[in-house]
Amino acid sequence: MTLSHLATEDVFVVERNDADFRGGQGMTKGLGIVFRKFRKALFGKPNSDRADTEGQFNVQYPEERLAIPEAYRNMPILLYDDATGHELCTSCFQCERICPPQVIHITQAKDPATGKPVPAAAKFVLEYDTCMSCGYCAEVCPFDAIKMDHDFELSTANHPELDVDYNRLLRPVSYYETIAPTMWSEVKEQAMKKLQNNIKRRPGDIGRDHGQKIKGGAPVAAAATPAAGAAPAAGAAKPRGPVAAIGKNMSEDKTAKLLAIRAANAAKRGGGAADAAPVAQAAPVVETVADAPAAASAAPTGPVAAIGQNMSEDKRAKLEAIRAAKRAQRGE
Amino acid sequence: MLKTEELQINIGPQHPSTHGVFRMLVTVDGETLVDLKPVFGYLHRNHEQLGEVNTYLQNMPFTDRLDYFNSMVNNHAYARTVETLAGVEVPERAQYIRVIMDELSRILNHATAMGFMLGDMGAWQTALLWGMREREKILDMFEYVSGARMMCNYCRFGGVVRDIDDWFITELKKLMQGLPHYFDDFEGLLLNSEILLARARNIGVLPKELALAYSVTGPVLRGSGVAYDIRKAEPYAVYDRFKFKVPVGTVGDVYDRFLVRIAEMRESYKILEQALEQLPDATGGFINPKVKQQSLKAPAGEAYARVESPKGELGFYVVSDGTGSAYRYKVRAPSFINLSALADMCKGYTIADVVVILGSIDIVMGEVDR
Amino acid sequence: MADALTQLGFASWLSVLIASIIKVTLILVGGSVGMMFLTWYERRSISYMQDRRGPNRVGPQGLLQPISEAIKTMTKEDATPRDADKIVHFLAPVVMLGATVLSFAVIPWGRMFPVDLNAAVLFVIATGGLHSIGMMMAGWGSNNKFALLGGMRGVAQLISYEIPQVMAIIPVVLMTGSMSLQKIVEAQNDFAGLGWYVFSPVGLLGFALFFTASLAEGERTPFDIPEADSEIIAGYMTEYSGMKFAVFYLSNYMSNLAVCFITATLYLGGGNGPGVDALGGIAGGLLSLIYFLLKSFALFFVMVLIRATVPRLRVDQLMSFAWKFLLPLVLVNILSASFWVALLRWDQQWPKLTEWFGAPSTADATNWGRLAIAIVLTLLINAGAVALIMRLTNRNVQKHLYTTDEELALGLS
Repeated sequence: MTLSHLATEDVFVVERNDADFRGGQGMTKGLGIVFRKFRKALFGKPNSDRADTEGQFNVQYPEERLAIPEAYRNMPILLYDDATGHELCTSCFQCERICPPQVIHITQAKDPATGKPVPAAAKFVLEYDTCMSCGYCAEVCPFDAIKMDHDFELSTANHPELDVDYNRLLRPVSYYETIAPTMWSEVKEQAMKKLQNNIKRRPGDIGRDHGQKIKGGAPVAAAATPAAGAAPAAGAAKPRGPVAAIGKNMSEDKTAKLLAIRAANAAKRGGGAADAAPVAQAAPVVETVADAPAAASAAPTGPVAAIGQNMSEDKRAKLEAIRAAKRAQRGE
Repeated sequence: MLKTEELQINIGPQHPSTHGVFRMLVTVDGETLVDLKPVFGYLHRNHEQLGEVNTYLQNMPFTDRLDYFNSMVNNHAYARTVETLAGVEVPERAQYIRVIMDELSRILNHATAMGFMLGDMGAWQTALLWGMREREKILDMFEYVSGARMMCNYCRFGGVVRDIDDWFITELKKLMQGLPHYFDDFEGLLLNSEILLARARNIGVLPKELALAYSVTGPVLRGSGVAYDIRKAEPYAVYDRFKFKVPVGTVGDVYDRFLVRIAEMRESYKILEQALEQLPDATGGFINPKVKQQSLKAPAGEAYARVESPKGELGFYVVSDGTGSAYRYKVRAPSFINLSALADMCKGYTIADVVVILGSIDIVMGEVDR
Repeated sequence: MADALTQLGFASWLSVLIASIIKVTLILVGGSVGMMFLTWYERRSISYMQDRRGPNRVGPQGLLQPISEAIKTMTKEDATPRDADKIVHFLAPVVMLGATVLSFAVIPWGRMFPVDLNAAVLFVIATGGLHSIGMMMAGWGSNNKFALLGGMRGVAQLISYEIPQVMAIIPVVLMTGSMSLQKIVEAQNDFAGLGWYVFSPVGLLGFALFFTASLAEGERTPFDIPEADSEIIAGYMTEYSGMKFAVFYLSNYMSNLAVCFITATLYLGGGNGPGVDALGGIAGGLLSLIYFLLKSFALFFVMVLIRATVPRLRVDQLMSFAWKFLLPLVLVNILSASFWVALLRWDQQWPKLTEWFGAPSTADATNWGRLAIAIVLTLLINAGAVALIMRLTNRNVQKHLYTTDEELALGLS
């Protein structure tokens, strides 16, 4: 019996071969195939191509990694401009509205003088633990301020840490450019133009007063870390984006040099003070003192190394940076 | 005669072979099954109610979480429902892309489902891991186009979110070079293995009439000998342009379901070949630009659209009252309805058969408990 | 060894004691290390069959993985269910392990015998039978339905498979004329160390049957029904954790190892092989040990290959396989073994026959004419029996394929 609307030529009956004589030949064939697989996996070359069906196919994870495609979406991040330190977010609330699990919480910035809203976000909290990584926020954002990160090694034993605030969401544009070059190049011009328009409407430091960026220029380290850490932190603290970003594009020593220069700058800024506490105050970077430790503590656990980079290269760069910072201090 | 006593056993909710948090309250006499009561709901997460609160677009990623093996198919079915409701045109290229993704989903679903069933039977994961290898290859490609391996969230109303490019097509062609070898290996491994035949033939028989009465769909129905496939019976997308056949079984036992799934993988392969050949160029676009995705408002009314998911008929029923979110939202999940026939399939067989029969239905608890 | 110690000036009771302690230590260490290697060997080879890599992190090529796992299981909490029969629950793994270790006493390591019992074959079978007691104790003592089902299944399986297993050995005993494993190994030393029983039709069938039955005894796929993880979780081991679970695991793998050793000894000539006799002395002993281990691990590889390929049988199929397939074949094999012995050695076994029909031309077992006749005759008998029983089984299966619905509903199929 077949249902009437299926033509008979569209249907075929699977062969059961019930009447065949079974004397162990089927099992022997299976054993043969498994043995062939064993031989190929042991002596043959590993499975490298999508057409391969023989040879080992596993990736030895921490050492070997699969290439992550550009479109890969894990957790949302916010972008800021490398040159000016201005954040791209204008708190238009599009992402907060579309977010299916409702995990985005934005507070709009206000002009302290007039009390009028400014196209920038004062607070931006994202609950990473409830985020379902659907990517809608990045899709709807008219200013290309929110993007999906590629870093997936976010496991932590500290659950409240997964309510991520503005300081920890920020990444420079250059970082995003390295993980998704073509996707960024498609929107770059437009996004930058919109940013320039918005900057005009932002009085004072509103719109670039989050994270560890310094007013008036290049992003620098969080000087808020305690004394001993001050110098090393210079190299290590800001690396959330830039280190990885630079490391990918530039040659090794160039990276190291650049880092060293940055570290030296940081040291000069902080170095005027004798100990670290003033450093923290002196650093105009940090929005509030309360935020500072969080930001600082977050930095080392950051996904620096995870971006798929060679560890040793990173380490070398850091070492260079520390040395340069020390030299700079001594020089003063 | 010996006096025997019936024994009640809880298989699940935490058990290696219930495919999720599913509980079977089993009454056995020795090893023979006297009664079976399926108990589910442990994974209920209010999906349908959420669908009535969310806007149409917001609900799309939630459909990924239904049958998490085939999120592409779920997206397709949901998008099709809302498109029917709102009267949205879908460009041809998008239709072809959707078909390609559906058929890739079907291959990966059957490969792993059969592997899991054989694992339940005690074949120590060999078939499963070979299936997993093919699945990994396909999932990598899904990740490339959609951004995620399993929670794809790929369809949008009137198209798909990202076009497939040359890389995808070359990789797909490479994948298709390897697939026939995989099919052959898989068949050779177990298709005629005497032990598999002993375990699968005449086990869990679901007669044709009973299958129809339970409104079972998918490979389970076709295994029982009813030639019913929505791709043929009510061609959606561009399925009417492909030449493929619908495999059916004769007895309706575990072995027939197994054979039907293998045959379906080969048919999917044929569809993929034709779809690649006919795939229109990118001029037509991959998404309808006129649709306002975020603020889509459907006119008041109702719509039901269905697709042939690898597990059976997957349908979404949406009632709209003219606002931006559904007034009523209902999912017809194939796993759930196929599972309702479990008790009748299992009675009279032994405990060892029950897990195999459950495996042959191919359920995903995410879809059963919505 | 005891004699050597006595010569060194130890009192005779002391030398026996010291020698025994050394032997026991060697057996225990050898067994456990062998088991550890076996788990690694199984996991690595099964991984390659599945295109994976397997444990490769701890130590070179992951060789130390079993040690890290032993440490892990031993430091885990040892939980006993509240309503369990605590004494039985505790004793079950001890009984299991004890039975397994006992069987190691008579296993010849190449040419080295810890103990040469004159009824070693019987001893091995008897210790194997003790397993069922341990299983039942575990199943009963756990107060868990899955454990009880597993224990019941295990006992039923062991009891029904012991019969074909024991009877598959009878041809070997007949052909050798002794139950001592040492004598059995010596009897397979013809033809420059290649006169293994497996090369004769009787031995070949016996080997296949014994190995199959041993798979069931050792709970290996396709007969791993007592611990079928997809059905009854872990069978009788469900309620065990930590150290006790580790002991079960140890005993399982040690008994698998013992099965491989015994099969290699009975049918594959133990430590015999080309060059062993020529070398002689310690070198020959070492070579025989290497041969013996190679044969045993090849057998274990076959076990792993089977595990990677086939699904497991159902309980009733398991039973009918033992009673309807293995047992008739085993009986036929005993018949052809007696023909074999009669043809090759009727002058020794039955002097009366020689009296009546006259002596055969030579009494030597390597008499080619008689050997050829014996091979052809036993081959015919065995092949005929295998073909016949396979046909019957096929017909049975085919008949069952078309059972009526009522029969199905009654579970009669």
